[in-house]
Amino acid sequence: MAGLQLEKLEKRFGSVDVIKGVDLEIKDGEFVVFVGPSGCGKSTLLRMIAGLEDITGGTLSIGGARCNDMEPRERGIAMVFQSYALYPHLTVYQNMSFGLTLNKTPKTEIDARVREAARILKLEPLLARRPSQLSGGQRQRVAIGRAIVRQPSVFLFDEPLSNLDAALRMDMRMEIARLHKELGATMIYVTHDQVEAMTLADKIVVLEGGVVQQIGAPIELYKKPANKFVAGFIGSPRMNFLDVRVTGVAGGSVTVESPSIAPVTIDARGFATGDRALLGVRPQYLKREGLDGAAGAVRGSVSLVERLGAETVVSFETASSERALAAIPQDEVFEPGSPVEFRFDPGAAHLFAA
Amino acid sequence: MRTRNLLAAIGKTVAVAAMLFWSLFPIAFIVMSSLKPGQDIFAVPPRYVFEPTFEHYVSLWQQWGAFFDGLLNSTIITAGATVIAIAGSTFAGYVYSRNSSRMLDASVLFLIVVRLIPPIVVTLPLFPIVNVLGLNDTHAIMMVLYATFFVSLGTVLMRTFIDQIPRELDEAAEIDGAGRLTVLRRVIVPLAAPGILAVAVFVVVFAWNEYLFAFIFTSTRAKTAPLVISEMIGSIDGVDWGILFAASTVQLAPVLLFVVFMNRYLVAGLTAGATKG
Repeated sequence: MAGLQLEKLEKRFGSVDVIKGVDLEIKDGEFVVFVGPSGCGKSTLLRMIAGLEDITGGTLSIGGARCNDMEPRERGIAMVFQSYALYPHLTVYQNMSFGLTLNKTPKTEIDARVREAARILKLEPLLARRPSQLSGGQRQRVAIGRAIVRQPSVFLFDEPLSNLDAALRMDMRMEIARLHKELGATMIYVTHDQVEAMTLADKIVVLEGGVVQQIGAPIELYKKPANKFVAGFIGSPRMNFLDVRVTGVAGGSVTVESPSIAPVTIDARGFATGDRALLGVRPQYLKREGLDGAAGAVRGSVSLVERLGAETVVSFETASSERALAAIPQDEVFEPGSPVEFRFDPGAAHLFAA
Repeated sequence: MRTRNLLAAIGKTVAVAAMLFWSLFPIAFIVMSSLKPGQDIFAVPPRYVFEPTFEHYVSLWQQWGAFFDGLLNSTIITAGATVIAIAGSTFAGYVYSRNSSRMLDASVLFLIVVRLIPPIVVTLPLFPIVNVLGLNDTHAIMMVLYATFFVSLGTVLMRTFIDQIPRELDEAAEIDGAGRLTVLRRVIVPLAAPGILAVAVFVVVFAWNEYLFAFIFTSTRAKTAPLVISEMIGSIDGVDWGILFAASTVQLAPVLLFVVFMNRYLVAGLTAGATKG
């Protein structure tokens, strides 16, 4: 078991800066998810922690020891790859015991550990098979088993579920959550899937362009996104961003309006009267009724309706020709082209610099 | 439509028959001639029905002990050259596959260029060097020479094979605690085995049949079987064709069996990298 410290960690490939000074503290036993769009550097950061990529600048410590220049095997980590990376010429048992045979662990102990991991992951009937004889989900479990057997202090997962189909992905997600509870080990998990990030993480690190955009608990990121990028990235459907103009500033609150939005007062700082700004409201917070007079209101006309049974997603166009979505938590009929007004609690809205 | 199919089928059959005749005729001729009584070998018209005899093989054994010494030398040299070439090609192929730099990429071209130089151009200047080193007429120098000649092609071949092994396997093994050599031994070599066998086939066939290097660098101790066969033609008591064909058959048999047995690896080697597997 170990915590990690990343201090001003940098990575350059030639003249390209991929990781631009990442500071991060991961506590022992924490489940941390790196999330971001493709090319944001999340996998590179994970590979730097694993020792598969050299660190250009900054310091990486695992369990208090600086390990910038340590070989992967000296770092006390285990990694699960997106492609599973199972040894195709070895059986499941040999795949899982590979690392232990290399460091000359006694045979009886290897056997005990492999069987224990196989029990946890329900792989017992498959131990004699080769990877080619397994399904995708089984292969992923073997890859996880290979990591467990080594009893590492830190588990690294590089998009482990992205090669699986949707149903299996959900099962494996729960399995990984259960595993984290059972083993209590530090886990770092890379994904571009924000549902995985929200459901698994104790702490999410949102990366964009090699820079940390925000670090925090999933709900904190959802409710208090630090910037427009995080606000747009976390949450599905994506947060609506509507152009507004600041018409008044008082203390910690700002009044904004636009041709399609009635004047509304939001808690925000750093704006001056006359500024242009972006009003962010999640589709789930746009409601048709049940809000009092202080609530904001957006008007527009319905352009598209998706009826999902338990939820209705309404796409509408505002008076200033902006597109926005509202997610109504029930089945409801909307006529395309008809005028519509949604209201929102100003406390659930965010204001970003335009 | 049907006639066209029929014509195509006939055309294919004829083409395959022609290819088979082209490649099998010399082999059949040598083997059959070695079993014919002496006067029948060059009989006109050729005799296809005859009483097989092993008299030439008996004479070969009695009169040409040197040939069997040559076979032993050929075996030792071929085995040694194969081991060296495989080791060299695998190590180099691994490096080429897993690293990339401008120098490395450029040097691949030189590996191929080396193969284009006529062997004699390389061989003659080597002679004084080999002499000074006192390696003339030794098994060791023949092994090294043959291996060297094939390490270039072998390296390119092994690189292609190793390129097909995902790099994540190296990384997974590194995280599992393997060093570079262990990755090579426990992961790369088992998975690149078909490539290693393909290289082996090339080297074995080359080293077993090679004549020019052996002619220049060996005289007695390390003389290989092809040299002894050539001596049979230049023999002062005239050529005994029966014995010559018997020796040729003995020389041909092991390498023919080996190639037939390894056939699928040979094809794999020739087409490696042609399509992404």
